[in-house]
Amino acid sequence: MKGFDEIQQLWQGQKPEPNVSFETILKRVKSDRTALSRKLFWQSVAVGVVVLTALWIGIAVDFSTWTTYLALAILVGCIGYYFANQLNDYKDIRRSSHLLAKPQDYINYLRAFQQKRYRFNTRTYTTYEICVAAAFALYGIEMYFILPLLTFAGIFILVILWFLICHFVFMKQYIKSEHMRIEEMIDNLERIKNQFE
Amino acid sequence: MSSQRQLFQQLFDENSKKVYHLCYGYTGDSDSANDLMQETFIKVWQNLDRFRNESQFSTWIYRIAVNTCLSYLRTVKRRTTDELNDTIIENYTEEPSEKQEQIALLYKSISQLDENERIIITMVLDEVPYPEIAEVAGISEGNLRVKIHRIKHKLTEIYNSNERL
Repeated sequence: MKGFDEIQQLWQGQKPEPNVSFETILKRVKSDRTALSRKLFWQSVAVGVVVLTALWIGIAVDFSTWTTYLALAILVGCIGYYFANQLNDYKDIRRSSHLLAKPQDYINYLRAFQQKRYRFNTRTYTTYEICVAAAFALYGIEMYFILPLLTFAGIFILVILWFLICHFVFMKQYIKSEHMRIEEMIDNLERIKNQFE
Repeated sequence: MSSQRQLFQQLFDENSKKVYHLCYGYTGDSDSANDLMQETFIKVWQNLDRFRNESQFSTWIYRIAVNTCLSYLRTVKRRTTDELNDTIIENYTEEPSEKQEQIALLYKSISQLDENERIIITMVLDEVPYPEIAEVAGISEGNLRVKIHRIKHKLTEIYNSNERL
């Protein structure tokens, strides 16, 4: 039988020490900053390339219907919106004001952040899906006048099938697994928050 | 820059061990504890110029460490107590001695406490002053004293029952 004082003595005589040196931390600070900047840089480059390509297509190719230009504009808008959201979340998670909040407030912030990400990855995705489908439909008007009817019908059916598979198979699975993950996390956060009250 | 580096090194030397203990007590796993400790000090470095002298440096670092531990949930699926205990025992199997076994048992017992109890008790065991613990945990000192009394009792009971087993 040990009393708390003996347990405390045991604790203070423990061997496990951190095996991370000050220099390692400084190196990580540098590499972390570089890794994040690199990630953001390449994401910006990818978005930039897609937007510029869309603009170039819009200028260089002489489309016969205005609906194709609208389709391009919708696609560029979707990509821009997604990128702006990603950028905003990066900034948000790194903001120091949250980090220094009371544990209860920090848990509230984590919960709100996770719910926001969940909404973005699920509900907003549906809007995004509708926009992309609309863009394809608008481009389809141009294709209707260019392609032979049978080819057009074949592509049209394939695109519709692909959208249906994405919506009813992949998206449903994704939403289900995300929902379970977020529910478990929220439950845990709620449980820990109650411990601090 | 060099004075900031000097200050950071001083803060690291003074607090890294205690922060590591806090992270180890919270996760029950030395690898995760090292990761969380690193993450804590990276955040300390990134926010060093924002320190406003409203509290002690150690309190400020502890607050960052606690919130970093809490956000551990965000990225890692919570493991069961049994899984944690296996990891704790594995960490101590290289050179088993009676003292090491007792310390492993102590970490095992800490992992059986609630999350906030783990955070509070590791600070108590490291003799952090009560007002500082209260500030870090965001609760009143009176409330903290009641909690500490209860947690000490609970930990002693868990430890002794684990020892008997």
